[in-house]
Amino acid sequence: MGVVHVLKLMKLEMKKSKVGGNIKGVIIANLAIIGLLLVMIFGSIKDGDMEFASITYTFSMVDTMVKATFIIFASALLARLVIEEYKNDTITLLFMYPINRKKLIIAKLLIVVLFTFISILLSNIFIDFVLCITNSFYNFTPDKLTTALIINNFMAISINALASTGMGLIPLYFGMRKKSVPATIISAILIVSIVCSNNGGYSLSDIIEVPIILSIIGVCIAYLAIRNIEHVDVIK
Amino acid sequence: MKMSYILKTCNLIKTYNEKEVVSNVNMNVKKGEIYGFLGPNGAGKTTIMRMMTNLVKPTSGEIEIFGEKITDTSYEFLKRLGTIIEYPAFYERLTARENLELHCEYMGYHDKKAIDKALDLVKLKNIDNKMVKEFSLGMKQRLGIARAITTKPELLILDEPINGIDPIGIKELRNLFKMLSKEYGITILLSSHILGEIEQVADTIGVINNGKLIEEVSMESIRESNTEYIQLVTSDSKKASYILSNNLNISNFKVIDNGVIRIYTNTVPQNIISKTLILNDVAIEAITKKNSSLEDYFLSLLNGGGTRA
Repeated sequence: MGVVHVLKLMKLEMKKSKVGGNIKGVIIANLAIIGLLLVMIFGSIKDGDMEFASITYTFSMVDTMVKATFIIFASALLARLVIEEYKNDTITLLFMYPINRKKLIIAKLLIVVLFTFISILLSNIFIDFVLCITNSFYNFTPDKLTTALIINNFMAISINALASTGMGLIPLYFGMRKKSVPATIISAILIVSIVCSNNGGYSLSDIIEVPIILSIIGVCIAYLAIRNIEHVDVIK
Repeated sequence: MKMSYILKTCNLIKTYNEKEVVSNVNMNVKKGEIYGFLGPNGAGKTTIMRMMTNLVKPTSGEIEIFGEKITDTSYEFLKRLGTIIEYPAFYERLTARENLELHCEYMGYHDKKAIDKALDLVKLKNIDNKMVKEFSLGMKQRLGIARAITTKPELLILDEPINGIDPIGIKELRNLFKMLSKEYGITILLSSHILGEIEQVADTIGVINNGKLIEEVSMESIRESNTEYIQLVTSDSKKASYILSNNLNISNFKVIDNGVIRIYTNTVPQNIISKTLILNDVAIEAITKKNSSLEDYFLSLLNGGGTRA
C-alpha cells in the first residue's frame, strides 16, 4: 500500500508541475554536449594535442560534462517541485490533504533522484555511443573498444551517476533556508564548478572520496528535510 | 452532549518568539451552525485556523475536531474538512478544472460531477481554457470556495472568504453559505474583520482581539438582549431632561452629548414624549426609535473589555 501510494503521489506531482516537459531539455542538453565535445575533439586534433587520443580520457570528459549539466538540472527540478510550493504557498494546500507529509516530500525527492540518475546514466551511454560512431569515421583515437573497457566504463558511469544524484540534493539545503529558487540553482552551479572543474585533466570528482562524501551529505540533507516535517509549522 | 460540538479548542496558546499571539482560546463550534469568527486584522484568527488545519502546531492547549484530538500525525480528519486559509493558493499554470481535479485526487474523492457542481454553485463560468494565473482576486476566491466544497466536507473552515469579492458576489456567497448549512448540514466556521458580513450569516459569533477570545455568543441572544430606545435631538437638553423626569416620570435616560438624549422606556409612547416636550416649549429637532446597533456592542467589546455595554 505504502509503495503504491508514493507512486501515485509521484504521478500527481509530475502532472501538476509538468515534469514531462524536462525530457526535451535533456535531449537539448545532450545535443549541446555532443556539439561541444566534437568542437573540442576536432580542435585538439588540429592543434596537434593528443588528449582525446585516449578513449578513457574522452569518456571521463563526457562523464564530467554530463554530471555538471544534470546536477544543475536537478536543482532546477528541486526548485520547481519543492521550493516553489513554499514560495507560492501551495505547500499549505498540499499539507492540508489527508496524506502523510513525509510521503508527499519523499515523492517529490524521488522524482528528482530518479530523474537525475536516469538522465546521467542514459546521457553518458548515448553520448559515448555517438562519439564511438564518430570515431569509426574520423579515427581520432586508436584505442579499441574492448568488452573489459566497456564494462569498466559502465561501472564508472553508474557509480558516478549515483554519487552525482546524491550531490544533486545538496542545493535543497540552500534553497530551503530562505525558500529561494535562485539560491537553489546558484548553489548547484557552485558545487558543479568546484567539483567538476578541469585542472590539467583532473577534477576534484576524480578523487572518488569527494563525490561519495558529498553524495552522503546530500542524502543527509534530504533525510533532515523529511524527518521533522510533521512537527514543524508550515511557513512560507 | 460532547459530540454536539464539531470543533473545540481548549486553552489554545500559540507563541512566536516569546510573544503570545493566541492566548487561552476556548472555542466551541456546534454541529450544523455557522460560526462567525470576528476580529480586527492581526487578532490571531488566521493563526487559530492554521492550528485547526494542523499547518501550525499549538504551543499548548488542544484542538478537537469531530470528537478527536488533533495531533502532529493526524491526517484522517482532513478528509472531512474543506478549507481556505488566507489567500487561496493554486497551481497557477493549471486551469481551474485541473486544479480541482488534482484536489479531488489528493483528497481521495472520485465523484466526477462534483467539480461541475461546485463551479456552478460559486458561479464561475467560461473559465475552461484559462490558467488560474489569469484570474482576478475575486475569481480566485470563488474558485477557492469551490475547491473547499467540492468534496462535500462536514466542516468548512473559511478564512476571510469574501476578501476581494464585489457586493453582488458577497450577497450570492452569503446565500450559498446559508444554503450549504441548511440543506447539506455543513458546519461552517468563517472569519472576517467586517461585522456586517458575520452578522448576516452567523448563528454564533466569536469575537477575538489581541489573541484572546473575548466573547462567544449566539446571535439570537444578542438580538434579544438588544434594547430599543428613543433618540431625541434637541437644542435644550437640560430642560428636556427636567421635563422627562418631572413631568413624565422617566428616569431611565441618558444624555449622550449636548443635544442628544437616549430614552430607554417602553411604558411611555413616543408621541406622548414629543407632545409633552413641545407643550413645555422644548424644541425637538428629531425624535426616532432605535435599536442599539450590533456595531456599538462589538465596538465596546473590542475597545475595552469583556463586559456587556
